[in-house]
Formats: sequence, structure tokens, C-alpha cells
Amino acid sequence: MASTTVAEPIATQSRSRFSRYGCAPYVFISPFFLLFGLFFLFPSLSALILGLFRWNGIGEITWVGLANYERIFNDSVFWQAAGNTLTYTAASVFIIMPLALVLAVLLNAKTLRFATVWRAMYFTPVVVSTVATSLVFQILLNENSGLVNAPLIALGFDPIDWLGDRAFVKTALIMVIGWRSLGLLTIYFLAGLQSIPGELYEAAEIDGAGTIQRFFNVTVPLLRPIILFVSIIVMLQAIQVFDEPRILTEGGPANASLSIVQYLYERGFERLRFGFASSVGTVLFAVVFVISFIQLRFFGTFGEDEGS
Amino acid sequence: MRRSSHANPLAVFLLHVVVISGALITVLPLLWMAYSSFKTTAEIFRYPPWLPPETWSFHNYASLLEGYTYDSWYGNSLLFAGAQTLLTLFFCSLAGFAFAKYTFKGKNILFGLLISSTLIPFQLMLIPLFIEMSQIGWVNTPYAMVLPWVAPAFGIFLMRQFALAVPTELLEAARLDGASEFRSYLQVVLPILRPGLAALGIWTFLSSWNSYIWPLMILRGDVNLTLPVGVAGMEAQAAGSATPFGEIMAAATLMSVPVIVVFVFVQRYFIAGLTAGAVKF
Repeated sequence: MASTTVAEPIATQSRSRFSRYGCAPYVFISPFFLLFGLFFLFPSLSALILGLFRWNGIGEITWVGLANYERIFNDSVFWQAAGNTLTYTAASVFIIMPLALVLAVLLNAKTLRFATVWRAMYFTPVVVSTVATSLVFQILLNENSGLVNAPLIALGFDPIDWLGDRAFVKTALIMVIGWRSLGLLTIYFLAGLQSIPGELYEAAEIDGAGTIQRFFNVTVPLLRPIILFVSIIVMLQAIQVFDEPRILTEGGPANASLSIVQYLYERGFERLRFGFASSVGTVLFAVVFVISFIQLRFFGTFGEDEGS
Repeated sequence: MRRSSHANPLAVFLLHVVVISGALITVLPLLWMAYSSFKTTAEIFRYPPWLPPETWSFHNYASLLEGYTYDSWYGNSLLFAGAQTLLTLFFCSLAGFAFAKYTFKGKNILFGLLISSTLIPFQLMLIPLFIEMSQIGWVNTPYAMVLPWVAPAFGIFLMRQFALAVPTELLEAARLDGASEFRSYLQVVLPILRPGLAALGIWTFLSSWNSYIWPLMILRGDVNLTLPVGVAGMEAQAAGSATPFGEIMAAATLMSVPVIVVFVFVQRYFIAGLTAGAVKF
């Protein structure tokens, strides 16, 4: 009898020390965190450390301090890749994203018939493998027979060597990346537009505002948070571009289309310079961290932080 | 609705012209992929490019299945994407439920850890993860293909968002009936999470089906490849000889068509998941 009265409060106390429901929530989150720790946190932290070593994966590991970083910043190819990636990023933010916003406004127009059909068509490239689409663009962008050049040839102009000419290769890749991501960005903007009350437009219309004025005076200000959010998604995507330049141009001609992630993969992994590749990863991380941090500061995680 | 009554008919017409021609241009490359798959490689690179093939036939498809281990790539892609999807749905819904409906010690710290992990681009851990896999001896195994990707922070956020809608009274009622916590998860929570599970499932399957850089690092040997790695390799292998673009287009078409067909039917869930996980209104 005495033992039960003593044991009882201890049992409830140990139950409530962590949670009302005993260990259930911990059991529920543990598989997730186990995998997360093993295959995300551990390798991520290892990368920061491995960047300070030289290692080819089988030989001995040599401490080199910041030598890898010195080599990166003294490598003109790195700066080329960084410049190219910056170009992709700038084009994504200043060309592709505004296009997506305009497209979303058009798709949201009440007078548009069959809007869901067109919306689905714009979105289709998002679901298709970038490997498959890059291979098609190799045909479409072909100098002498590609569909993109066909109007030029038909009108008697010189065809453009989209993938072989340093002056055009980045433009070609921006077209391909834009084609792939336009639909996704449009969906974000559409969701935002649908949250704007229609009365605001009616009020603006009564005040005599035209379509263009309504766009700049109602739509853009009200979508500001979403525009900022999408701009960061777009930047992160552009910074991590790999598939398209790898398949379309192999980074060429003369590294004119090489991206940073491609640099990491080809100069680091393929040449078994694991320490070096990790330090490139760390540099990439630093850039992405700053951008993501801005995202979190302004929008909360994935735009949402209620209840936590 | 009322606006349409006095909408300028010319503006409405122009709107349709712009939207429809843009939509057609967007799907054109995909149609071109299918169209080219019926041409020989020489016909693909003939000017003008819109000329139809001399004979319409499935010869590219036949020689694709004969000359390459395409069916193995397909099977591997299905297996990896399927396994990754099922495991992701299970782990993320379970953990998302715990974060949404329980209060427990350390919850905020753990959630903060997840939040901060979204600041890490996966390319940072690419090399160490590869080294980790080779240390465990998992290079070229399904484990290395699937397990590192079944606990995405994005998935847990999405699941938590949907699980917040589970009425607490329902859970209490299940407890009064003597149901274990796991049983309530199975019988009360999972049915309510269904739209979220659909969205996350589609998203996970797609990202696995289309993933390129990780399988490129981890898979060895022709029969073990996935579709993107195998198909991209068809081009790379051909260095020197003529690249078999006819077969490559057939391969690209076969790997894209099912995805597009499924997308047409489930786009509602897919888009709902995207916007629910990403934008707050």
C-alpha cells in the first residue's frame, strides 16, 4: 500500500517531466531527427571542417588551414563561375520574376477563359526532368537546324551559335532556366493575387485608374511580401544551377557558362579533391546563408510562424 | 464578374492572344521532344526543322530498349522514388503531427534546429555525405539513394501545417477510448492529413524521379543507373561518334510522359502543397 502511494506520484511526475503524453512525441520525432542528424547535420558540419584539409578520399588527410580558400580565391575559373552564377541570378530576379508577375496578373484576369488550362500549360516544365528538357534544348538551340534559329535563317540572317558562342551562351541558359522556372513563380504570385480583395480594384477603377495604374498602385504594393519571398526563392534556385550548363554546354565554351555548383562538382568531386570541394561548398553556404537569413528575418520560416 | 460586362473586347482579345501564345510556346519544347523521338538523328538536325519524319515509326524506341538498359533505369527510378516517397510521408507526418499537437520539452529548440537547417544548401554536404556513404559501404546501393532524403525539413513544416487543423477534441476522445498515441496518429490524424500527404508525396516523388547530381555521384554500372543519369550518359558516352539524338529523345519522352499525365490529374494537390508550404496569407 505504502509503496503504491509513493510510486504513483513519481510515475506521473516522470511522465509529466517531459510531456503530458510520456515519450510519445519523442518517439514520433526520433526517426526524423535520427536521419536528419546522420545525413544532414553531420555531413554539413563535416564540410566546414573538411574544407581545412587536403584529402583525396583514400590517402592520408593533411591539415592545410586556409590554403583551400586561398586557392579558390586565386583561381580565375572560380571567379568566372561566380560571375556566371551572378548573371543567372540577376537575370532570374530582374527578368524572369517580373515576367512571372505579369503572367500571373494576366492569368488572374476575370475575363480570361479556361484559365486553369493555360495555367497548367505554363506549369508543365516544372515537373519534367531538367535532364530531359536540357537535351531537347540542345536540339532547339542547334546553330544550323534549331527551331530557335529557324526564323533568323528564314529571314536571311546569320544563325546564332547559342551554345558555342561566348557572347550568347549565357543568354541561352537564361532562356532555358527561365522556361523551366516561370510556371513555378507564377503559381506563387497567383496565390498571392487571389488573396487581394476584388473591391480594391473596383475602388481603383471607380477612381479612374487604368489597367497599368492598377497594376502599379494596387497589385505591386499589396504583393510586396510575396515579391520579396519569391525573389529569394529565385535567387537560391539560380545560385544552385547545375543540370542545364552541365548537359547543354559542359560549362563551355571556355567556362563561359560554368556555374558554381558545377565548379564544385567538377573541380572538387571528379578530381577527388574532397577538401577543396568542401571549401567551395562552404563558400556557397556562406552566400546562401546570408540570402536565406534575410528570408527568415522578413518572412518567417516558409512564410509561417504561428503556434511555435 | 461584373467587370467583364463592360470589359473592352479588344483588350480581352489581346489578353487571350498573349496568354495562349505564351502557353503554346511553353509546351512547345515538350511536344518537340515527342515529335523528335519519331525522327532519325539525321532528320532531327535537318533544315527546316519542322519537316516530318520520312516514315513515322517507333524505331528509336525499339533501339533504345535494345541498345541500352533503359528498362533497368526505369525500374530503378520507380523503386527509389517510390521508397523515398513512402518513407518521407511516414517520417514527416509522424514528426509534423508531434510538432503540431504536443507540447514537450525541447520542442522549440528542435524546431529552431529545423528552421536553421533551411539555411544550408545541400551542395555543402554533398562531398562529406558521399564520403560518409563510402565509409559505411553504401556507395551504389539503394540505401544511399533513398535514406539521406527521407527527412526533409520542408516536409515536416508542410505536415505540421496540415496537422494544426486536427481538432484537439478528437485526439482527447481517442485517448478516452483508450487508443494509444500511435493509434490516434494512424486512425485520427492520417485521414485528416490526406491532402497534405498528397502534396508532399507528389513533390517527393518528382524530386526523386528528376534528381541528377546525387545519383550521378553515387551510382556505378550501367544497369544500376536512374533515368536522368542514364539518359544524360547516352549523350556523354557518344563522344567521338555521332550522338544518338533519336534514341535520346525517345528516352526523354518515355521518362516525361507519365509525369506529365499524372501532373494533369493531381495538379490541384501539387499546387496546394506548394503554396500552403510556402506562402502565408
